[in-house]
Amino acid sequence: MSQLALELINLKKSYGTLEAVKGVTLSIKPGEIFGLLGPNGAGKTSIISIITTLEKPTSGQVKIFGYDVEKDPMETKRRIGVVGQEVVNSGYFDVFEILEFMSGYYGILKNKERIDYIMHKLGLYEHRQKKVKQLSGGMKRRLMVAKALVHKPTLLLLDEPTAGVDITLREDLWAYVRELQQEGMSILLTTHYLMEAQELCRQVGIIDRGQLKFVGPTSQIIEQFSAKKIMIKLRKDRESMAHKTFLKKKDGFFEFQIPSQESMGNLFRDLSLTLEDVEDIKTEQGSLEEAFKQIVSK
Amino acid sequence: MVALWTLFKKEVKRFLKVMMQTIVTPFMSSFLYLIVFGVSLGSKMNDVYAVSYLAFLIPGLMMMGLMNNAFQNSSSSIAVMKFSGDLEDIRVTPLSHHHILIAMGLGSVIRGLTVAVVTYLVGVIFYFMQFNSFLGISHPLVLIYFVLVGGFVFGLLGICIGFWAKSIENMAAFTNFILLPLLYLGGVFVSIETLPAWAKTVSSYNPVLYLINGMRYGVLGVSDEFFSMVVKDLKCFKIYLIKF
Repeated sequence: MSQLALELINLKKSYGTLEAVKGVTLSIKPGEIFGLLGPNGAGKTSIISIITTLEKPTSGQVKIFGYDVEKDPMETKRRIGVVGQEVVNSGYFDVFEILEFMSGYYGILKNKERIDYIMHKLGLYEHRQKKVKQLSGGMKRRLMVAKALVHKPTLLLLDEPTAGVDITLREDLWAYVRELQQEGMSILLTTHYLMEAQELCRQVGIIDRGQLKFVGPTSQIIEQFSAKKIMIKLRKDRESMAHKTFLKKKDGFFEFQIPSQESMGNLFRDLSLTLEDVEDIKTEQGSLEEAFKQIVSK
Repeated sequence: MVALWTLFKKEVKRFLKVMMQTIVTPFMSSFLYLIVFGVSLGSKMNDVYAVSYLAFLIPGLMMMGLMNNAFQNSSSSIAVMKFSGDLEDIRVTPLSHHHILIAMGLGSVIRGLTVAVVTYLVGVIFYFMQFNSFLGISHPLVLIYFVLVGGFVFGLLGICIGFWAKSIENMAAFTNFILLPLLYLGGVFVSIETLPAWAKTVSSYNPVLYLINGMRYGVLGVSDEFFSMVVKDLKCFKIYLIKF
């Protein structure tokens, strides 16, 4: 069996003449959180729909722990949990019943212990007898996550799970996602909150108009595609400092922006500065958001 | 099997949660049909194949309620799941298409059967009040067969229409312009033997007619002549199989 949790091999999907996914190849190792990032309409949801068998690929292959989603859909479905973008309103049933039915669909008849554990973890236990329409927006999102976890999946697909939810819930959810990862779960995450993706994901893929523009470690993309800011305060203040990377002077600090991979020493040398000249230095690392903008605007 | 059982259980629980709409409303319409047509008008009508009009009407209403409710159960379930996003939830689980069809079909049979039993009980009470005797079941196995076939076929039809319908309006159109005419013209209220020849020929193409007559044969032991002949043929075939 393959060691990879998820493999996309030259995956293509077209809707008529529109090519939504153009030959995407990437993989996720077991126990890894992978961020699939891209603007709206980039093809992220199409990829997730193919992984979950809701859509058929035009060509290419998707494997989950070595099982092909088209040849062994039952095997792959047992291994994945899906949190979709839309909140599902199962109008007739309460939270516990919904989770009990979900367990049953995965072949688990008596799952009360696991359901209670997840409800406690996600703060749903007090709301277990409420119907979906009686839950707040945040609680509905938590229910979506709980539904995806009742059968202990080994690969969790989170398709913009925090779209439109408040900061507290987002933080709670990400903390739980980290916990799941520590337990060994592999996670594919799509989100528009790039700061959060930067903190959570060690690997990211950036997709734009169906094409995978970058795939690799988050630190590498930041280094490669973003700039860092260096703010220097001199003991003997000057009016200005002539350098191609100079941005502005603010509160006595001279701000420079240099590529992330470039060292501060080079800047000091160019400016003919020594440590004795400097009263204070602040640095601001580049972000995934900057790198993302760089890649997507290309 | 657990997955299939779960979906079946969910389907049954769903209609039990809205009992007013799924059980009480059909009960009321059966009650009204029986009191207006069976008791009131029926007492002024001739017997049909040597049974009272009320007795003739009861199995017809049972089968009509069964098929209509089996259809409504699966079609509304699919439509609601489709519009609420529940269907995608089910499609990402390891439930096969066969599981979905069987579970939803059986869920429909249970709702149809519940309505048929309620109709039968109301009918039996009216029959007892009118004739001071009990209306029993003549052929229980035939009855069970037609309950299962009628409920399951109309449950599956409901699934098809639920998937096909783009809106609730589409579903209402199918129910009002196709399903209800087939049910009402399927021999619930009159025997096709009483119809003019051309209407008899047209009715013979209505599949519902055979299901209603099957139910009538199961309850009363008699039905339209053509159906009794089919039963005789089947009996001969059974004897032939046993002998050889």
